[in-house]
Amino acid sequence: MTTITRPTANSGGMLGSLGRLIAKLYEWHWYVLPPVVGIAMMAMIVGAVVVAPREAVEGQVQRLMYIHVPSAIAAYMAFGVVFVCSLMVLWKRDMRYDAVARGAATVGVLFTALMLATGALWGRPIWGTFWAWDARLTSSLLLFLLYAAYLLARSLADELDEQAARYSAVYAIVAYLDVPIIQMSVRWWRTLHPQPIVMRLPGDQQLPTSMLLVLYAGMIGILLLTTWLIVLRSETERIGARATALRATLDRAEGN
Amino acid sequence: MSSSWAVLEKDLRLLWRHRTGWLSALTFATISVLTYSFAFDLVTAEVKPLLPGVLWVTFLFAGTIACSRSFADEVEQGTFDALLLAPVPRTALYVGKVLANCVALLAVEVAVMLLATILFNVPLLTPALVLSVAVGTVGYVSLTTLLSTLGAHVRAREVLLPVLSLPLLVPLLIAGVRSTSAALDMPNGDAPWTLLLVVFAIWSILGSALLFPLAVER
Amino acid sequence: MTAIEARSLTKQFSGVPVLDRVTFAVEDGAKIALIGANGAGKSTLLSVLSTLALASSGTFQVGDIEADGDTAALRRKIGVLAHSPMLYEELTPLENLRFFAKLYGVTDGAERAQVLLERVGLWRRRDEATHVLSRGMHQRLAIARALIHRPSVLLLDEPETGLDQDGLALLDEEVLRAPGMTVLAATHMLDRIEAWADGRITLVRGRVATAEGTGVRTAVLEAVQAAAPAAQAVTS
Repeated sequence: MTTITRPTANSGGMLGSLGRLIAKLYEWHWYVLPPVVGIAMMAMIVGAVVVAPREAVEGQVQRLMYIHVPSAIAAYMAFGVVFVCSLMVLWKRDMRYDAVARGAATVGVLFTALMLATGALWGRPIWGTFWAWDARLTSSLLLFLLYAAYLLARSLADELDEQAARYSAVYAIVAYLDVPIIQMSVRWWRTLHPQPIVMRLPGDQQLPTSMLLVLYAGMIGILLLTTWLIVLRSETERIGARATALRATLDRAEGN
Repeated sequence: MSSSWAVLEKDLRLLWRHRTGWLSALTFATISVLTYSFAFDLVTAEVKPLLPGVLWVTFLFAGTIACSRSFADEVEQGTFDALLLAPVPRTALYVGKVLANCVALLAVEVAVMLLATILFNVPLLTPALVLSVAVGTVGYVSLTTLLSTLGAHVRAREVLLPVLSLPLLVPLLIAGVRSTSAALDMPNGDAPWTLLLVVFAIWSILGSALLFPLAVER
Repeated sequence: MTAIEARSLTKQFSGVPVLDRVTFAVEDGAKIALIGANGAGKSTLLSVLSTLALASSGTFQVGDIEADGDTAALRRKIGVLAHSPMLYEELTPLENLRFFAKLYGVTDGAERAQVLLERVGLWRRRDEATHVLSRGMHQRLAIARALIHRPSVLLLDEPETGLDQDGLALLDEEVLRAPGMTVLAATHMLDRIEAWADGRITLVRGRVATAEGTGVRTAVLEAVQAAAPAAQAVTS
C-alpha cells in the first residue's frame, strides 16, 4: 500500500521523449562506455607515442599536445555542464542536478590541472620557463582556482543539504559568467606588455594531417573519458544520497 | 525601495552599535598599507608605482572582512528569517545590505587614502581617483555581499569567503589598479580600464540582484 | 469562511517526506493547537505556511490568497512567532519594532510600536539594548514583533518558550485568545491547550493523524488526491 510521489515525472511532449531516449541510453552506459573509453584512450596513447610524426622544431616534447589540447577542451566542456546543471538546481530544485554538477566540477578541475601540468612540462623546453604570466595561462589558472573554490564550498556542507546545493549553484553560475570578463581583462593586462618569447604552435604553420588525426583521436578519447567520469561521479553521489535517505526513512519508521 | 532604505538605516545603526566589524576592517587596512610600505621601501626608494596595487589589495581584503559577517549575524540571530518573512522583494533586502556595506567600506577607503596621501606624499583624494574607487567598491561589495550569504551557514566562513571571492574579483583588481595608475599619471597601457570597472560593477550588481532571491529560497 | 487551507502539502528533504500530503482547513478566528512528537513535521508545516520554505508539492491558501499568488499580500496577512525570537540584539526594543514596522509598510509604525510595547509590558525598557533583556522578555518582544503589522493569522512555534506565569497570561490574552485572530500554534504544553484551543491537529510522521474540535477539519485523502492531480501518487 505504499505510494511514492515522484515530483519529476516526464510528462509527454518533445522533451519527454528526448528524456526517455536519454534514459534508455543511460541504462546502457555501463556496458558501452568502459570498453569504448578504453579503446579510445589506447588509440590516443598509441597515436601520440607511435603514429604521430616527430615535430621538426620542438622534438618529442611536442607529443604532449595530444593530451594538452584535449584536456583543455574537456575542462571547458565539464565547466559548461556545471553551469547548466547549476541553473537546473535553482530552477528544478532537483538534487540530481547537484550531483552531476559536483561530478562535472571535479572532473573539470582534474583536467584543468592536467592541462596546466602538461603545459608547464611543454613550456619548459620550448619557452625556457614552466610558467609565464601569459593571458591564456593566467585565465586557466584562475579557472582552476574558481572551481576548486566551488568544490571546497560545496564540500563544507552535507551532500544532501539543499540550501548548500543552491548556494553552490549560485557560485558556479557567477563563476561561469565571470570567465569571459576574466579573459578579457587578462588579455588587456598582458598583451599590452612586452613579453618574453611566447610562441605557441606557430599559427601560420598548418598541422600535418597525421598530427591532426591523432589530435582528433585524442579529443574523442578524452571527451568520452570525461563523460564517463562525470557519469561515474554523479552515479556515486546519487547512490550515496539514496543510502542516506533510506537510513533517514528507516529511522523515521522506527519512530525516532 | 523604501524597504531597502529601512534595511540600510537599520544596518548603519547596527554598524555603529557593533563597531568590531568595520573597525577591524579599518585597522586591518591601516596596518596593511603600513606593512606594504615597510616591505617595499627596502627594495626600492620609489614606492609610488606600487601604490595602486597596495591600495586595491588592501581594499579587497578589508571588503572581505567587513562583508563576511553581514549575513552571518542575521542568520545566527534568526533575523534573516524575519527579513524573508516581510512582504518585500528579496532583491530589496539585498540592495539595502549592499548599500550599507558600501557606506562602511567607502569610509574605510577614504581613511586609507588619506593615510596614504600623508605617508607617500601623493595626492590621492582627487575626484577622478575617488570616483574610480567608488565604482570599484560597488563592484566588489555587491559580489562579496552575495557570496557572504553562501558562507553564512558554514563554520569556516572567514577563510571561505576570500577563497570564493578573490578569483572572481581578479578583473576588478586589474582594472582598479590600472585606472588608479592612470589617475596618478603613471604608465598603464591604454585599455579602457575605467570602463571595465564600470562594466564589472554593473555585471556584479545585476547578476547578484537576480541570483540572491534564488539563493535564499528554500 | 476559511482562514488557512492546506491542500496535500508535501515537503521532502533529500527524498525523505517530512510532510506527507497534509490537508486541513482552519476556520476564521479559530484557535488551533498543532501537536505531535519531535520530528513530526510541526515546524516544517509552519515554515511552509509562512512562505519561508516552498512545498515540494501541494498548495495552500491564507484567506482568499493562494500561496503561488500575491506573496506580499499573503505575508502581510500572517504573523510569525518562531523558535528564535528573530530580534536584533544590538538594537533596542523600540528600534526593533520600528524597523519591522517600516519593513511591513505600517504607516503608523511609531504609535503601533508604543502600543505594543505597553501591552507586552516593555515600554519602560524600550531604550535598553535587547541583549540585556531576559529570555522571557525576548519572547514578549517577539510577540510584539509578530503583531506589528496587524496580522489576521498567527503561526506560532512553541510560543510558551521562556515565559513565566505573567508572560503566559499575556500570551493567552494578546495572542491565543485574541478575538478575531486565527491562530495555529505548535505546542508541547498539552495541559494548557484546554484553556485556549478550539481544536487540535495531530501530526504523526508528517501526516495529519487527527483533526478534532471546532474550527478545524481535514479532508479525506483520496478526495484531495483526485482534486489535485499534481500530487497524484504512483502506487507501487
